[in-house]
Amino acid sequence: MPHAGRWQVNEMKSVLVIGGGIAGIQSSLDLANRGYHIYLVEREPSIGGHMALLDKTFPTNDCSMCILAPKMNECNAHPNIDILSYSEVMDLSGNAGDFTARVQRKARYINEEKCTGCGDCTARCPSKVPNEYNGNLDKRKSIFLPYPQAVPRVMTIDREHCIYLTKGKCGNCKKVCNAGAVDYEQKDTFVDLNVAAVIVATGFDMFDPTHMQEYGYGKYANVITAMEYERMICASGPTGGHLETAPDKEHPGKIAFIQCVGSRDLQHNPYCCSVCCMHAIKESILAREHYEDIKPYIFYTDLRAVGKGFEEYAVRGEKEYGIKYIRGRPGQIIEDASTKKLTVWYDDTVNRKVKGLEVDMAVLCTSLIPAKGSDKLAAILDIELDEYGLYKSRDELTAPLDTRRPGVFIAGYCQSPKDIPESVAQGSGAAARATEVAGGAYI
Amino acid sequence: MTEFSPRIVAFCCNWCSYVGADLAGTSRLQYPDNIRIIKVMCSGQVFPSYILKALELGADGVMVAGCHIGDCHYVSGNKKAQERVETLLRVMKTLGLDPRRVRLEWISASEGVKFANTVKEFVEEVKELGPNQLGVRE
Amino acid sequence: MKQIIKRTKAYYCVECGKCSGSCPVARVNEGFSPRVIVERALSGMKGEIEGDRELWTCLTCEACTTKCPSTVKFSEFIRGMRSSAFNSGYTSRCSQGGLLHSIQRVQSYRDLVQNRLQWISDDLKTSTEGEVLYFTGCLPYFENLFSGFVNPLEIARSTVKILNKAGISPVVSPNERCCGHDLLWTGNVETFQKLARLNVEMIKESGASRIVTSCPECLRTLKLDYADFLEGTDIEIVHISEFISSLIKNNDIKLNRAGIMTYQDPCRLGRHMGIYDAPREVIKSMGELVEMNKNREESSCCGVSAWATCEGNSKQMQIERLIEAKSTGADMLVTSCPKCLIHLRCAVHNQIPVEKEKVDIPVVDLTVAACRALAGE
Repeated sequence: MPHAGRWQVNEMKSVLVIGGGIAGIQSSLDLANRGYHIYLVEREPSIGGHMALLDKTFPTNDCSMCILAPKMNECNAHPNIDILSYSEVMDLSGNAGDFTARVQRKARYINEEKCTGCGDCTARCPSKVPNEYNGNLDKRKSIFLPYPQAVPRVMTIDREHCIYLTKGKCGNCKKVCNAGAVDYEQKDTFVDLNVAAVIVATGFDMFDPTHMQEYGYGKYANVITAMEYERMICASGPTGGHLETAPDKEHPGKIAFIQCVGSRDLQHNPYCCSVCCMHAIKESILAREHYEDIKPYIFYTDLRAVGKGFEEYAVRGEKEYGIKYIRGRPGQIIEDASTKKLTVWYDDTVNRKVKGLEVDMAVLCTSLIPAKGSDKLAAILDIELDEYGLYKSRDELTAPLDTRRPGVFIAGYCQSPKDIPESVAQGSGAAARATEVAGGAYI
Repeated sequence: MTEFSPRIVAFCCNWCSYVGADLAGTSRLQYPDNIRIIKVMCSGQVFPSYILKALELGADGVMVAGCHIGDCHYVSGNKKAQERVETLLRVMKTLGLDPRRVRLEWISASEGVKFANTVKEFVEEVKELGPNQLGVRE
Repeated sequence: MKQIIKRTKAYYCVECGKCSGSCPVARVNEGFSPRVIVERALSGMKGEIEGDRELWTCLTCEACTTKCPSTVKFSEFIRGMRSSAFNSGYTSRCSQGGLLHSIQRVQSYRDLVQNRLQWISDDLKTSTEGEVLYFTGCLPYFENLFSGFVNPLEIARSTVKILNKAGISPVVSPNERCCGHDLLWTGNVETFQKLARLNVEMIKESGASRIVTSCPECLRTLKLDYADFLEGTDIEIVHISEFISSLIKNNDIKLNRAGIMTYQDPCRLGRHMGIYDAPREVIKSMGELVEMNKNREESSCCGVSAWATCEGNSKQMQIERLIEAKSTGADMLVTSCPKCLIHLRCAVHNQIPVEKEKVDIPVVDLTVAACRALAGE
């Protein structure tokens, strides 16, 4: 040993990571590479989280899936990582160093060992439902892969919409599956995992702006959310990367991005979601890269560009990509019923004028809210929620990744609003914290 | 007990009735001094609320005097005055104020006598109506 | 002013501008911006705000207040600043030459004996004492002033008819005074308080435990602003639309089909009091409801508030609203506020700045329409 002092080497134990987004993936890889055994529990059919749904990431405009997919595959192939997808944690008992986690493995009616992800079943499935992975802009089948790069690459049958499971008819997928992987008799199962530490990285969900009547989401065809925009502009998305506006699917001439929809709003979420200023700039730049003549307008209250390279990104957006920044939170969007064009009414607080701007498309940069079920999970794990519904750190300043329960750590957006680089950093941080109770070398 | 001496406000238009009032003065015609004249350019300028405000502030009677119909310097100002006073009288009836406290007269510049007589009559009428209760502060 | 800022949480303002972006007045009047007024207040510019003509332009419609992300109570803030201006000697801007305000002030004199029950015809049953009181508001005075193009007292008659149909003989007091809403919102708090005290005396004398009113402004004032004066009593206050809606639900009355209707949400009934559904239920039971583009919380104010500012901007708002109503294709525009009715009808009473066909949709009061549609009449 290179250091003086006595070392104690304990047996390396297992760690449970709840949440397969970028923070959870990072924690898993960091720990697995050090020799720990990881159980990565993810409630969606695939790991990847929201980063898998983005087109590009700011401020470098790197392709999101191109960065994420290698990490996802590494998790899949890693000998020390067990991915439990389509699963949820139901109970956690025990103490730091010796927890027992009960995990419900939801039945996907597919034998994971046998399924090759070939897609023959999907082609023959007659049941179509709105595709939540494409912002509900297109349809998927009831037997599906969430996206082409899904990890694990196994199909899932949506039990609520599958015709066989709900009505006893069809059965096409089973007939065409060459691997014999379809198993309608599968049941939800429970496994008990013995782990030394738990890392919670459950991320966020999107705020639904339908009830904010002033913006007309859900009523006006050309008002969409930022996530829907991401899917539209993504080449592997429902429109193949084309921005389509009603009524004739032409691309928009003027596009308005409205910041802080549901954020910094005492009537909804008081906190700043921290990423929407930057992703609006990114989306504007992407719009210009797709269409030379598009004019983006960003309506902001404060332009929060605080990370490395962020301010330069914002300035580049204005100088090279023609973004017009307008300081003023819009009060109302009105649609012209015949042309479907929108008028955004706002107060230009810098020039002190109240104006209406006619645009072809309005993108609501909605708030990111605590992941659905956070309160339930917090009760299961016996950790606290803060006043926003995010998980509470043991000490915001000196122990942000610890919770009140020793051995349970948090990382990523579920701890506090943050972007991808910070989530990755916290993933690694939580991994380091977990080693305190999960074994390894101690002085 | 002192005898009740009404306080009357009169809105007189510049072109006819005010001149008529002047004429009454220069002709040395006697008329009670209970009247306070407010000159307006046209009787049509008198909003009903001015009349009501005068009553609110304690006037016992309000007179509006303008040119004869057809002679208004501004063509139809006095017609407006007529409509407005009619509206006000309806309001006063609903309010429970005696509409006899408001009087609309057409007095031309040469009718100094008419002016004096109108004022004398009006003051007598208002004396009989008694003091305006609104002016009594709670 | 510091008290007003504290009470209305104006110090939370982050100058985001959502208020001015929602304001229907700011869109037609360049000089008016809610955000700028708050900005001035936070900078301590009391005199400038009080002396500003635009202080009286605000419609207190609460389009901004319902949207403010910092929960600044802007309408209350304006009310407070107007009261402050009034105390500093500024008079409010008044439309109709200030006649309505005069009428309301006169009603604050205790010994006044009004003559306001002439509209009660023989077929209407009323009482001098009872459990239910019908608060008429200023309808008799509106009739005096505006009978050229609108029948405000028809609302009163319709209300009593419907109450009678439900087996209620309401108290209609000859000593009722204006609720004081307009004076309160134009800064004259002292006279408002006088009116409130007189009305509460009248209410207590009647023995009523329930008050029905056909005016949303009276509703708001009685329910919210009279709270201190009515303390200790347990009096229920409802708007006639809520009352009719519950009669329909209990199958106590039935309405015949009256046509396709669109509905103007009055500011005081909608945004101030949160009552959006009851009037809609009444409309749906007598026909189809077609919503305008801007409805419920997004509904556009009728352009005039508290008989303060009424000018070209008001007319523009009214014409735009009528165009919106006409373009729904409905047979009529229904509203449940006598003032919305008067202001919208007034807009097309004289000169109309657009083609008549764009705005010639009949404007009808909800209670009147319901009364006409009563089955078995």
